[in-house]
Amino acid sequence: MKHHGIRGLLGAAAVAASLVAAPPVLADYPVQTVRLITHSSPGGGMDVFLRKIGQHLGPIMGVHFVVESVTGSGGAAAMAAVANGPKDGSVFYGSTPTHIITSLLSNPSVTYEEMEPVVNLFNDPQTVYVLTESPYQTLGDVVAAAKENPSSIVVSVSTPGSLDRQVMEEFQTLTDSSMIVLTHDGGGDAILSVLNGTAQVGVSEIAELRGQMEAGKVRIIATYTDERVPGIGDVPTAKEQGYDLVISKFRGIAGAKDLPPEVIAAWEEGVAKLMEDPEFRAWYEAEGLQNAYQTQAEAVAAREAFVTSLQAFFEKFDIN
Amino acid sequence: MDGLTYALTAVTTPSTVLAAAGGVLWGILGGALPGLSPSIAMALLLPFTFDMSPLAAIIMLTGVYIGAEYGGSIPAILIRTPGTNAAAATVIDGYTLHQQGRGGEALGLSLVAGTIAGLVGLICLVLLTAPLSALALYFKPPAYFALAFLGLSIIAALSEGSLVKGLIMGVIGLMVSTVGTDPLSGVTRFTFDEPDLLGGIDYIFVMLGVFAVAELMSKVAEKDGGDGGITKTVARVKLPSLQKLWELRRAQAIGTAVGIIEGPIPGAGGTVAAFLSYNETKRWSKTPEKFGKGSEEGVVAPEAANNAVTSSALIPTLSFGIPGSNSMAILLGGLLIHGIQPGPMLLSSRPDLVYGLFGGLFMSNIFMLIFGLLVLGPAIWLVNRPKPYLTAGIFMVVLSGIYVINQSLFDFWIVLAAGIIGYGMRLLKFPVLPLILGIVLGYMVESNYRRSLLLTNGEHRVFFENPLSLGLLICAGLIIGMAILSEIRRFRRSGVEVHG
Repeated sequence: MKHHGIRGLLGAAAVAASLVAAPPVLADYPVQTVRLITHSSPGGGMDVFLRKIGQHLGPIMGVHFVVESVTGSGGAAAMAAVANGPKDGSVFYGSTPTHIITSLLSNPSVTYEEMEPVVNLFNDPQTVYVLTESPYQTLGDVVAAAKENPSSIVVSVSTPGSLDRQVMEEFQTLTDSSMIVLTHDGGGDAILSVLNGTAQVGVSEIAELRGQMEAGKVRIIATYTDERVPGIGDVPTAKEQGYDLVISKFRGIAGAKDLPPEVIAAWEEGVAKLMEDPEFRAWYEAEGLQNAYQTQAEAVAAREAFVTSLQAFFEKFDIN
Repeated sequence: MDGLTYALTAVTTPSTVLAAAGGVLWGILGGALPGLSPSIAMALLLPFTFDMSPLAAIIMLTGVYIGAEYGGSIPAILIRTPGTNAAAATVIDGYTLHQQGRGGEALGLSLVAGTIAGLVGLICLVLLTAPLSALALYFKPPAYFALAFLGLSIIAALSEGSLVKGLIMGVIGLMVSTVGTDPLSGVTRFTFDEPDLLGGIDYIFVMLGVFAVAELMSKVAEKDGGDGGITKTVARVKLPSLQKLWELRRAQAIGTAVGIIEGPIPGAGGTVAAFLSYNETKRWSKTPEKFGKGSEEGVVAPEAANNAVTSSALIPTLSFGIPGSNSMAILLGGLLIHGIQPGPMLLSSRPDLVYGLFGGLFMSNIFMLIFGLLVLGPAIWLVNRPKPYLTAGIFMVVLSGIYVINQSLFDFWIVLAAGIIGYGMRLLKFPVLPLILGIVLGYMVESNYRRSLLLTNGEHRVFFENPLSLGLLICAGLIIGMAILSEIRRFRRSGVEVHG
């Protein structure tokens, strides 16, 4: 009985979703309905991201977008659904560094290698933050404190295999300093550790920090980006402060290998327009995301560079 | 008062009233289905909230959460299968009461205790949001370790009569919890290159195995004698009288208090609260000998605790934007989709939402009482069906419930293996709960122990210097000491026979 309930609800959801989003359908794109698959659960970062794309890209490309969350096997199930799906442009994957990290760490049956980037949209800037009342104003202050008294600086990062951790381990090598890098179960816990004084410094994405920033509890002292990030005060990048570290936490779309060229072209063109859409732009700027649009060729090259640096990191810290 | 106006508006707007009612009803059904945890029940409903107003959406999601925490006790009492993790402690006395033909009473107690605790928790949420949020901040790694250790110390009390067997099961539980990705370094452990093991062995599967599958196996093994057996007992829903509630006030108060305190602590949650309150109530009870043998207090305490958690768990989510559990993470997601950023500024920037939610929570608790009563009749009718149909039906529901969680066949094998092991444990009279506690708390104990030592370069002093940690460790010491004392006393009293 209860199962009927669930099925019925899901069925109703599908019907409701198709009724809500009914854009004018153009002839160019080979299919009418496109599934965007993510391993993140409903309401998770990637889910919200794909829904926003579907909402604003739908009218541009003349396609219905349906966001599907395929959880299980640490994200491998979602990758399998895309890589083994039809190659007609009807299934795509919301890609972030996570799926590459999962592929390298857990040898799933389907890895990122069975997928190909289609386009990249954003860079999710990684920032270094401290409590507002903290004495540290720059990365230099933090390094000086760490050198004066080794292990006096605790850096709060999210999970052990995360980019946050990677960047802070690299930071120590770069500055020849020694800090304690404290890993957590997720980003929320990591912020809590800074708020309660367990850690003196934290690394996080802007969206997760926004609530604390607006309340004046934390302050960002550096970003690991190429250029300054608007909307967070005038914070110099790590590069400007003399530490040549740039972390690209990309957000993009990937698909099965060897998709038809017209499908790729439609995405490249559609997303290029999407990035200039005023409403979409307002959303991503408020989220602290940087426009980092890349065509397929650029995205493929970026992925290769990313994999190389990640492999070196895992090898160095014996993460396997 | 502005807040009251916002709350009243929410209570009198049809859309929010409907959202609360729908959420609670779905929550009770979802919670009652083993395998559908509160967070999954919330996730399934989430897409439907996208087009609602933010207030209706958040009220509906919290309604699901509240309903599910109650719903979990229905199968816990009637078929010895906790529908949710937090209902695991309810199984002990709830199912025993049901076997004694008092299942209807147990369900009534669970419902009323949960409603009262939910409402008291709501009052605390309204009054104490600021001070209790601060509590979450005081929890640093050593305190988390001590909290989990306190939870583990209950093993000593839960395995009374066979402390050694209890410890064995507890240690096995802890060992199982080490499977998966190392919490600090990310190295994989005991995964044998099996991707399905990377995330570790989820305790919901072990729980479903050792409780549900093992119970079904022993049911099947029983002789189907014409009269005996619980399937013939007709139990009616029976709400406790006011006098009965007054008699049970101690259990109610302890459960509610433990739930309210545990709720805001990220990672602690309803399961730990339910077990802790069960144990505390037993200690302070005038009739501790009835625990495990069908004690009413043994149902009231954990059910009050897990429903009190539903209110107080919202505190860190709303005031920090930091979700303490999966359910709260989904609630947070629901808010973010509507462009609302929970955090320290939420109360001042969107008071309509916060106070409206308080009004919604009040409605949800009332709806829980109403729907709870409506659902109980059919539920009891269901479990009084002939045994072969019932057993087969439960098997189907449990096994399909497992599949719902991850759509993975691997989980299936875990549940079946745990079921067989659980059945063996029952035959050999090994207690099940220490195993569950070990698996539930192992990760929290380990990761925070290591985090603490990492912070102090290996100095164990830190556990005694942190006042919260020290206090919790003293409590744990007392629990262990008292369990050992009573073991010794019983040993002396009955001489060598204990070994028999």
